[in-house]
Amino acid sequence: MRALLLIWSLAPLLWQLYTSFQPPEALVAPAGAAAAQWTLENYRQILAGDPPFWRYLLNSTVVGAATTVLTLLMAVPCAYGLQRQRGALRLGVTLALLAAALFPIVLLFLALLELARALGLANNLLALSLPYTALSLPLAVLVLRAAFAEMPQELEDAACLEGLNLPQRLRFVLLPLMTPAIASTAILVFLLSWNEYPIALTWISRSELLTLPIAMARISGSSLYSIPYGAYAAATVLGSVPLLLLVLVFQRSIVAGLTQGAVKG
Amino acid sequence: MGLLLALLIACLVAVARAQPRPVPIRVLMPASFADATAEQVRDFNQSQGRLRIKVARGPVDTDAMADLAISSLLLGDTPYDAMLVDISQLTKFVAADWLEPLEGWFGNDYFEAMVPGARLGNASDGHIWRLPFTADIGLLYWRTDLMEQPPQTPEQLVVMSRDLQRQGKVRWGYIWQGRQYEGLSCVVLETLDAFGARWWRPAATAPAVDPATGGAAAMRETGSTQLDSPAAERAAAWLDKLVTTGITPEAVANYAEAEALGTFAAGDAALMRNWPYAWRELERMGSPVVGKVGVTTVVGRPGQQGSGTLGSWGLSMLAGGPHPTETAEVIRWFSGPEFQRRMAVSAGYPPTWESLYEDEELRRQVPLLAVERQALQNPVERPPTPLYAQLSDVVQRQVNGMLTRHGDPGTSMARAQRQSELVLRSAAGTPQEVP
Amino acid sequence: MSGINALLMLPALLLLAATFLLPMVRYAWMSGHASSVVTGLMAIPNGGANWQRLLQDARFWQDAFQTLRFAITSVGLELVLGLSIALLLHQPRRGRGLLRAITLLPWALPTTVMALGWRWILNDPHGPINALIIRLGGDSYGFLITPSTTWLFTVLADVWKTTPFVALLLLAGLQSIPTDMVEALTLEGASRWQILRRLTLPLLMPFITLALLFRLAQALGVFDLIQILTRGGPAGSTESLAFYAYLNAMRFLDFGYSATVMLATFALLVLLSLGWILLQRVGSRRTA
Repeated sequence: MRALLLIWSLAPLLWQLYTSFQPPEALVAPAGAAAAQWTLENYRQILAGDPPFWRYLLNSTVVGAATTVLTLLMAVPCAYGLQRQRGALRLGVTLALLAAALFPIVLLFLALLELARALGLANNLLALSLPYTALSLPLAVLVLRAAFAEMPQELEDAACLEGLNLPQRLRFVLLPLMTPAIASTAILVFLLSWNEYPIALTWISRSELLTLPIAMARISGSSLYSIPYGAYAAATVLGSVPLLLLVLVFQRSIVAGLTQGAVKG
Repeated sequence: MGLLLALLIACLVAVARAQPRPVPIRVLMPASFADATAEQVRDFNQSQGRLRIKVARGPVDTDAMADLAISSLLLGDTPYDAMLVDISQLTKFVAADWLEPLEGWFGNDYFEAMVPGARLGNASDGHIWRLPFTADIGLLYWRTDLMEQPPQTPEQLVVMSRDLQRQGKVRWGYIWQGRQYEGLSCVVLETLDAFGARWWRPAATAPAVDPATGGAAAMRETGSTQLDSPAAERAAAWLDKLVTTGITPEAVANYAEAEALGTFAAGDAALMRNWPYAWRELERMGSPVVGKVGVTTVVGRPGQQGSGTLGSWGLSMLAGGPHPTETAEVIRWFSGPEFQRRMAVSAGYPPTWESLYEDEELRRQVPLLAVERQALQNPVERPPTPLYAQLSDVVQRQVNGMLTRHGDPGTSMARAQRQSELVLRSAAGTPQEVP
Repeated sequence: MSGINALLMLPALLLLAATFLLPMVRYAWMSGHASSVVTGLMAIPNGGANWQRLLQDARFWQDAFQTLRFAITSVGLELVLGLSIALLLHQPRRGRGLLRAITLLPWALPTTVMALGWRWILNDPHGPINALIIRLGGDSYGFLITPSTTWLFTVLADVWKTTPFVALLLLAGLQSIPTDMVEALTLEGASRWQILRRLTLPLLMPFITLALLFRLAQALGVFDLIQILTRGGPAGSTESLAFYAYLNAMRFLDFGYSATVMLATFALLVLLSLGWILLQRVGSRRTA
């Protein structure tokens, strides 16, 4: 069973890896023809493109980082305030946040496009992090609220008695204890921002500013009879590796964040 | 000695710097066009140092290629200097104010030396928006070994097909494109014309002043569709009858150009409606019917030449680019006779200039030239409205539905008309009264 | 004290309201106007013509059917598969952490990145699956070019990517079930199946609901996958509502109608969600 699960999860990825090292002729040869040939040509093609592939990874990282910082700045106070509420207000806001977290983002693209046109926010990576922040807030607030709920009240009371005001309490007492939750939230927001598609599609048109998903879409659009699947595979591998590494390293964090949010939500 | 050398080098560098770098002109085209024109573009760039054409290979699908440009233009960005525009997309770009008028560089009489068909769909309101470099048109392919003369009216087509089928000389009488896609709209357009019906009826003139506010009137769609006229219903009924009486296979509801060509090339059909490219394809495929095929204009009204659907491609200048004059020069080269001559020979693109159609050498090399010229004397245009894509979708759905359900052309056309009206009202505001 | 706390929430909540509520309001307003390239993208009231058109728009209803079919199939499969995977991951074994990490990998990738991969894997005739079929002596199959079945493979790609998320949520639920209850039932002689049905599933219901609502909303809005994998083809058989709305705005330049389609999609989502929640209420009242 476990083996099946492993194969199911990894097979497509491994096949892309394999394909990325195959020359075009080998890909279209009849099944089981010549012996395996290996080449780095696909990677060379992708990396030497105009603009070069690493540019897209950089763009995505810039937007992701900006979004994560902004989201945390706004989500921490909101989660704290929410946790301190009681009764109907807290339930209402939590439900609203949940509804917002479920909302299919693509339905917002038109209104956001009009906004971009009206305020000149298009083709600007930092401006893109603004809607991304808004879209990440629901999940971030829900996860952080669950983490605040774990904090024993006595801790804060003690800090109050010692004369610490709210910002100081947050900074010196609560947040240090919540580092795992903050890390989880940061990773989740970063992932969300890397994977976002419709907003980036409509806000970014200049090829040197494209984020990774949009770049992949563009690469896949222009081809004719001999579709360069070797190059596509190389692009897939290059585009996947950063995220895969991120997930493998931080998987505990991610799982903890999601389950916390689910259980306490 | 060293000083002299240094001075010489300094002079050379200064001279090199003084040479103006070639102005890059970025042109967006679908990948197929880009590949077909690559050699010529390379020659152009090498033959002079002032301009450098950089072709951007867009998606193969022309709609997707236009999408690429639109996503930038909507954000106020002009990523290309010129782009290839299909005739059915032009009105949309014009209405959006994304194109630069060209009559300043070319003069309003630029098209006079072109065949009549090529003149259509490039200008409006006294402005030139696009210079065409090829004019495609729907044609009728017929088997010279099965008939003496090709049919000229829908009625003749039916009679001749039935005769041939009854005699067992050929499996199918007439093959065309019936799949739910743009090709079907082209077939419908030609059929409507053959029965004296119209798809589109432009209204008189748009008001320049809004009566309510006294200011400039918002653009209103001032045309309408006429798909429920009795003649239109007869046209649809004829298409339906072709399938129900077995002149055309039922599978036609899934045929695009390639499938129709395949059946005709295998010798299974007496007549085929297709585009000029099919002629070269037949030879390339090594089809058994090569040498037994004639090409003529599509069937039309009695006593009149049938009107094929016009499909033309040309370059437009995007507004807001940094080098308008140089771009105009590049556009002129792309639509010039030298370029078109080479394209006609190498890729089979029908040219737009009368002079090329009269050229003896070219007529020898491109056998279809004569019939193309004749057909381009009176083509039929797809509705020139920015909402064409939506209207075409409505017609495709209804007609294809009629073909797969075998019947009720009256209801199908009535529904197409009603839905077209809804599209116009929804996207353009309340329609004007049409006199 | 609570005043300050409420104030702390304000900036975030305002931003959220602006991002999620205002667009819907704007769409509602736009759906009553003609706003297209023909009107210069200015809004002219057209007296509900957008809605009249929607009701008769065969393409809209076809897309609605296709989107619903995709969503229900996809979510159904994900719940079943996700539960199986969650049960598997719940068992204490060595290397459980690594297995969980690997299971999570498909979910971490952007949809568009792997969609290209699927286009190759399902390619006819060169992709690996067809190569295998040919080697086994069969005929290659046009997975992505056969109008009647292509949608199934969009479901496959979607299930592959998002099942880990569902599995994670359900795993959280499994971990919250008190182990002593499971032990008690086992001691009474209940089989694994019975424990699953009588104890696990009912306790898991809130998590299943959460996962279902989440996935339903995402699936009804499917866009990235369709645009890269099939572009809505072949013959429009995989076109989704979100894709149609996007086309209307970005290709046909008809903003008013695009807003109308999106509002209708949102209404569909709300209806289905409410429907499920009501079903849950009725169901739980009956068993109580």
